[in-house]
Amino acid sequence: MKATQCARDGYNRRVREKAIRVGGLVMTLIYASAIAWTYSRQPASVAQLTGGLAAQVGAYRIDQRSFADGLAFFKRDQFEEARSAFSRADPAERDARTQFYLAYTCYRQGWGRLYNDDALFAAGLTYVEKAIALAPSGRLVLDDAGLQMRSPDELRAELQAGLERDLSDLNPMRVLRQRK
Amino acid sequence: MTATREAVVLPLAFLTVALFGGLEPGAADPWAPPSLFALVLAVMIIAALVRSGTVDPERLLRGSRSSLENANGLVVLVALLVASAQVLNMLTPRSGLPALIVGFVLFVLLMNTLVMSPDRPRLLRSFAVVTSSAFVLKFVILGALADPDGGRTKRVLLALFDAATLGTITQAPLPASAGYIAFAIVVLFLVAVALLPSAEHRLPRLLESGERAIVRTES
Repeated sequence: MKATQCARDGYNRRVREKAIRVGGLVMTLIYASAIAWTYSRQPASVAQLTGGLAAQVGAYRIDQRSFADGLAFFKRDQFEEARSAFSRADPAERDARTQFYLAYTCYRQGWGRLYNDDALFAAGLTYVEKAIALAPSGRLVLDDAGLQMRSPDELRAELQAGLERDLSDLNPMRVLRQRK
Repeated sequence: MTATREAVVLPLAFLTVALFGGLEPGAADPWAPPSLFALVLAVMIIAALVRSGTVDPERLLRGSRSSLENANGLVVLVALLVASAQVLNMLTPRSGLPALIVGFVLFVLLMNTLVMSPDRPRLLRSFAVVTSSAFVLKFVILGALADPDGGRTKRVLLALFDAATLGTITQAPLPASAGYIAFAIVVLFLVAVALLPSAEHRLPRLLESGERAIVRTES
């Protein structure tokens, strides 16, 4: 009886030890992957860190109410407010569509008939690059009738053109161009 | 050494050191990987740990262990290497003459340790002194010299010091949190190193398990 009990204890101890070892190995591999991800993506805030990790497992969702607020501000040309709402909607900066709209607010606010705001255009370029990086295969097309540029590629080209300095800047016909 | 310590405690402790050792709060890219020089120093640390018997690789990796046990042991050794590199990288000043001097001093100290082959307690004490000295130099002394806050007198003195040293000493300002994170990381690293399976405990452990086996057979 005692021998059976002893054998059972030994078996239980071995199973428990194996479970600890397997669990530890799995946990360590997951932790090491998270560290590798952190060093490659360089999240600068806790929101970006947690959001990025959630996005890796497909669990990241933007705040739809803040996104709707941002869209409403954007359509009323209240760009500062729109950026604030969009940033709140996507604190981890992991949603391509929100980053695209953030870039668009920079474009529309920075656009000028005589000259563009370089700082806003540069910020817009950063956002649009992020949107392209986040979109599946780098491709994103928005179904928004209020936008003349519906893909990040068009918006990026427009922002880059706005930041360049060349002779066409001196063309007086520039004042006739339209904001997109 | 228990399975929990080998498979859970040590890997998680060393990986935590590896993660936060590279954290530079406030920097544009806040997660800095270890430099090549830090990796070289980390290899020297591993060699010193093995020679002093602070870590016995045979207790982590050997043919008579199962694949799972060897995998756990390998993880501990790899995590120890990465954590050592990150700790040394964290304790080395970022630029100027202090970076050069601290790097050189660490190299010489580790080389000296390898040649002297101290035993486990002496090596642990030596590690504690070296890491705490580097910590005080970077986060207390150089941190105070780079601190932008303070009165006009302090700023004038710092400007004079900067001019006298041709700007080779002054570092970029560190956020207050950096020092606290570094302190926690150094303590965690030293504790984890002390928990490594040492060569000194191999024989008593064997005897202990043998005794247990005898008792079990008798009962």
